[in-house]
Amino acid sequence: MSSATNARWTDGSMERRVRRRYAKERRFKLLGLGAVTLSVLFLAFLLYSMASRGLSGFVHYEAAVPVDFSKTDLFLDPAALRGPDAAQALADANLGGAISQSASAVYGQGAEDMFAEAATRDLAKQIQANPDLLASPTTLWLPVSSRIDIAAKQDTEPAAERLVAALESRDALRRTFNADFLSSADATDPSSVGVWGALKGSFLTIVITMLLAFPVGVLAAVYLEEFAPQNRWTDAIEVSINNLAAVPSIIFGLLGLAVFLNVMHLPRSAPLVGGLTLALMTMPVIVIAGRNAIKSVPPSIRDAALGVGASKMQVVMHHVLPLAIPGIMTGTIIGMARALGETAPLLMIGMRAFIAAPPGGFVDPATVLPVQIFLWSDEVDRGFVEKTSAAIIVLLLFMLLMNGLAIYLRNRFERRW
Amino acid sequence: MSLTLAFAAILIVALAAGYAGYARARGLRTAGRLHSLPSYHGIHALLWAAIPALLVLAAWTPVQTRLVNQAVMASPEGQALPDFDMQREAIFTEAREIARGEREAGFNPESSALAPRIAEAETRYALAGGLAAVMVALLAGVVAVRRSSVTFRARHGVERWLMGLLIGASLIAILTTLGILLSLMFESLRFFEKVPPASFLFATEWSPQTALRADQAGSSGAFGSVPLFWGTIFIGAIIAMIVAVPLGLMCAIYLTQYAHPRVRSWLKPILEILAGVPTVVYGYFAALTVAPAVRDFGLSIGISNASSESALAAGLVMGIMIIPFISSMADDSIAAVPQAMRDGSLAMGATKSETITKVLLPAALPGVVGGVLLAVSRAIGETMIVVMAAGLAANLTANPFESVTTVTTQIVQLLTGDQEFDSAKTLAAFALGLALFLITLFLNLIALHVVRKYREQYE
Repeated sequence: MSSATNARWTDGSMERRVRRRYAKERRFKLLGLGAVTLSVLFLAFLLYSMASRGLSGFVHYEAAVPVDFSKTDLFLDPAALRGPDAAQALADANLGGAISQSASAVYGQGAEDMFAEAATRDLAKQIQANPDLLASPTTLWLPVSSRIDIAAKQDTEPAAERLVAALESRDALRRTFNADFLSSADATDPSSVGVWGALKGSFLTIVITMLLAFPVGVLAAVYLEEFAPQNRWTDAIEVSINNLAAVPSIIFGLLGLAVFLNVMHLPRSAPLVGGLTLALMTMPVIVIAGRNAIKSVPPSIRDAALGVGASKMQVVMHHVLPLAIPGIMTGTIIGMARALGETAPLLMIGMRAFIAAPPGGFVDPATVLPVQIFLWSDEVDRGFVEKTSAAIIVLLLFMLLMNGLAIYLRNRFERRW
Repeated sequence: MSLTLAFAAILIVALAAGYAGYARARGLRTAGRLHSLPSYHGIHALLWAAIPALLVLAAWTPVQTRLVNQAVMASPEGQALPDFDMQREAIFTEAREIARGEREAGFNPESSALAPRIAEAETRYALAGGLAAVMVALLAGVVAVRRSSVTFRARHGVERWLMGLLIGASLIAILTTLGILLSLMFESLRFFEKVPPASFLFATEWSPQTALRADQAGSSGAFGSVPLFWGTIFIGAIIAMIVAVPLGLMCAIYLTQYAHPRVRSWLKPILEILAGVPTVVYGYFAALTVAPAVRDFGLSIGISNASSESALAAGLVMGIMIIPFISSMADDSIAAVPQAMRDGSLAMGATKSETITKVLLPAALPGVVGGVLLAVSRAIGETMIVVMAAGLAANLTANPFESVTTVTTQIVQLLTGDQEFDSAKTLAAFALGLALFLITLFLNLIALHVVRKYREQYE
């Protein structure tokens, strides 16, 4: 043996080498920790930037404006307000004009556009609730237009800033929760847009997706896992399911466009078509989750049921499937969450139209929340920036809720044998 | 009789047949020991009454549409229609909607005249088809109920139906794949009639604006897809992977090898949230926050043509999105390496990091590569991030601060907005879709094969 390998463990060079190796070990571990921290920081930054931009979208500013309806050129017969045509009478009356007249009378030049569409709608509601408002001069609190709203929240254009300062000095400006954002649909004016229309569209779409993808996915999983013989056909089915789960979502949009719209002539922009398209996309995810859940049911259960004389189909339907359902549900919820956040395929089938009223049914034109976010992100008006982020907060809350539910179900019901 | 009404009638007949079968079987119990439970006799009759009739109804619907169209075209109002296909189609759609009472009046004056003809023909054919389907339901239901007897194996009949349902459900996956292939190929063939495949695949100029009028100048349309594929690869396979592979791999190593189980049980779901964030949110984040930062950074290091829509911004954000995907694939394949290999290395005196880099990673490499291929396939198919952050200019550039465009961005551009359906511009989207589908199919097949083959080695 040479003297080099004979060196003792306490030899200086050996200790140096060991120290170097341990330092390398520490560096490697820190690198790993750094990667995890960086990824988590990305997520935190993403959430922070959405929250800091979007939370202001849930509040809006209201300004006080003294109004004497007798002095404006508003013509509204109080008797008409009690009849069935009250809404029409209010829509015909020039409420917007009356507001801007009063506003410029009090706050001077440049204040005539400090209220917008949302204020008109609000005033109509107030008058309907309390027709006596028309009789005598009163002070009304109305939501200000987007321009003033932004000026009150951050520094922007000087003219709007001056008006805000004037309002604040008179104590005529207050912050309130913007309930309209949750209850109204899309609009052209950022101060009066809301997510309700898109939420309803998302809901209708996801219902169709669920109704189609869940049963088909579960049945296909049962067949492939329990009954399918090993042959070319079932191989082809397996490969196509695994591949479909990884096909880009926009391809499903092209399929929907070519088949559902151009061949079958189903209505454009409808939740029905959106749901069908997303169902084809979600089905493979459910099949894969379902197969894993069914696979994890121990054979002893099947053997016991077969042993007391159940048929193969009864074994599956009465014993295996009920035990696998929690696992299948977890996979389904994750698939549904993915479908709920999907945008590209729905753009292909025309769900990007401007729709100012919430859809009434499955074949009405509709849009969904992610598409609504995409459409708002394209708007040039500054007021839309906070509305887009606010809509993103709503969408993310839904995602977290669904993923949380999936994790809860997994922890609560999934059995380990 | 409308088809909805026929549907309801079939359901009623089926329920009645089901109850009749159930009641009959219960009555039979006095005659001896039944082979199947009475409920199976009921379900058996119900399925026989419902399914064949519903199949007839489903098969009739497209036939009826064709028959109605033929009848209407033969009528004098139909003969008067213009020959031009698209316009005729538009008038037809309108007339159909008027006939159903979905709208008051059409955009085209011809449609109002056509509507009563359609309504009349629809009523006639729906009555015929509906009656036929209900007759089938009645007939099959009566036969099924009459077959019930003490020895009749109703359960086997029900199970055969169920089996058919199971097979049918699993065939939908194949049908979807076929549907994708056929619809993309059909439209692509029409595109290649107008644009030769060679110039689509190899030319380097992309400007899909075609002239709307013959005398319009300067917009002949060029469909060379090379810049799009380059942009797609540049963003999805190069920049995104430079971000995602090291980060994802190190995350997986740290979480599986170093982290305390309790820490891991918290961090893993947090990382999974990254994968659950909708891509439109990433797109907005990329366009609003990352892209300006990237441009400012580019300007500060002296790149004068730094664009506000850059390949780098889109690629960075896409890489972040892919991290949990890579990390969970790597996690799986590292966990699949047998414990004995790790123990052996540690017993030889190797440190943990030496074991990981010299034993575990080489052993897990095929699985990791498969995972990376799947991630690439996902990245090049990703749409919203690139639509919102990558830009529209088809540049053949390797400068990450410049704007590039991708296949998915162009598909969205070509198919949204005003479009006439037969133009090369619209059809080009399908050709791009076909290419994208084939590329991702190829990547997925290799990746699935690698992952599966590798798994078998240790089992």
